[in-house]
Amino acid sequence: MKRILVVDDDDAIRLLIEMELQDEGYEVLSASNAKDALKLVETEPLDLVILDIRMPGMDGLEALPRILGLREGLKVILNTAYSQYQESFMSWAADAYIIKSADLTELKNKVKELLA
Amino acid sequence: MILGMEREKKLTTIIMAGGKGERLFPLTRDKAKPAIVFGGLYRIIDFTLSNCLNSGIRRIYVLSQYGSLSLDIHLRFTWDIFRPDLGEYIYSVPPQQITVNRWYRGTADSIYQNLKLLDEERPKHVLILSGDHVYKMDYQAMLDFHLSKGADLTVAAVPAPRQEASAFGILHVDEDHRVIGFLEKPADPPGMPGNPEMSLVSMGVYVFGAETLVRELIADAKNKDSQHDFGRNIIPRMVGKNKVFAYPFTDPATGKPGYWRDIGQLDAYFQAHLDLLGEKPVFDLYSEDWPMRSQLTLTPPTKYVSHKKPVDITDSLISSGCELHEAQVSRAVLSPRVRVGKGAYIEEAVIWNNVRVGLGAKIRRAIIEDGVMIPPRFTIGYDHQADASRFPVTDGGIVVVPNNVTLEGP
Repeated sequence: MKRILVVDDDDAIRLLIEMELQDEGYEVLSASNAKDALKLVETEPLDLVILDIRMPGMDGLEALPRILGLREGLKVILNTAYSQYQESFMSWAADAYIIKSADLTELKNKVKELLA
Repeated sequence: MILGMEREKKLTTIIMAGGKGERLFPLTRDKAKPAIVFGGLYRIIDFTLSNCLNSGIRRIYVLSQYGSLSLDIHLRFTWDIFRPDLGEYIYSVPPQQITVNRWYRGTADSIYQNLKLLDEERPKHVLILSGDHVYKMDYQAMLDFHLSKGADLTVAAVPAPRQEASAFGILHVDEDHRVIGFLEKPADPPGMPGNPEMSLVSMGVYVFGAETLVRELIADAKNKDSQHDFGRNIIPRMVGKNKVFAYPFTDPATGKPGYWRDIGQLDAYFQAHLDLLGEKPVFDLYSEDWPMRSQLTLTPPTKYVSHKKPVDITDSLISSGCELHEAQVSRAVLSPRVRVGKGAYIEEAVIWNNVRVGLGAKIRRAIIEDGVMIPPRFTIGYDHQADASRFPVTDGGIVVVPNNVTLEGP
């Protein structure tokens, strides 16, 4: 079973993504901040990370190169309510950039595509 | 000039200066390669930095790593000339260990690890240089070429003899200078069309479109099979996929291929010194239109002392603060404060600061590190076995005398 880490400081969104991905048959781990996420990346076998950008403490764009430094080639989807971070070079290291929506179809399709 | 400055705002310049310089050992055992003395009173990186200054580039990052203290000290002493309040700077950047917990794994990784720096600058173009090359080059002319071709990457290129070319990346170009093939350090380098004895080599001087560079670096960082090297990985992957052009590096005065040397190993280091000598040297340090900046040393003038016979000096560069007594010196490069005793004989040698050459000592085809005391009547470069038992000797037969040995007189 493919394992996905969901990182988001918004409990409701994190829970929503977690549940929908579990329904799709994935094993889902979650973290509410980047520090906890980095610990999981270091210790847990993972196939993909869904990463929020605006989070208190370390933001997603800071966490991204650290995640890739720990696990070269780990797939990462940036999942954010804001479009402007697409211009940041730091966001280009992600495999996909998705604008958050209550409808998770785009996110789920991207997950499926990246884990195919 | 205003145009140049405007254009510069969109250019970020990065000098890679972190290599270990193993093939220059022992000179690099406690120093960064770009911080090594060259031409009497320069350090190797002074040539690249002087080129920047002469090209109107005053915003420079130097990526340092191995032996970075030696480089930092030199940058502080010699290159603390930029005005941060005018937006000018020279920054030394060792591995930050913020996003990744490692040293620079290769030339491409050194830039990848500093992506944040590019993100903050948001340049349109990135000029990537090496800190261990000896040459004079107008980078603005190369940038103009890059813009005129609409290139994603422009690689500066110069013809080199085919038998020496296997140390470099070899470019295959079409009549429009577009790169259609690239071989990194091939055992048997292909010749150039119409000139089979010469190969077109990459000088390790690159202008990238910034966004292309970032995409390529990210893709490379994710590639587990990559050595994260521009020559081995980034350029070969871009040729055929992107618009890669070769900028023919020429001497603007003659229109002929320019002088460029990669000071990669000891014999090249020695040979490049001989290129500085003579009435019309292969590489001229004296042209006023392209000044080379170096550390200002406060020394008295050089003193030539004649007791009975004159001091006999031919085809040499003698830095300030030296003292030579009735010695014979030919085809040598002396750094500041070298003292040469009466009756000493020096032929084809590179002698660093504060060396003492004793009475009647004889030196031939050698590199002498700073502070070495050569006892009276000691000989270097005459008895191959004796030299090899005491000192490193290069493939080309050059004796290197490091300053961590004490020499005993005969």
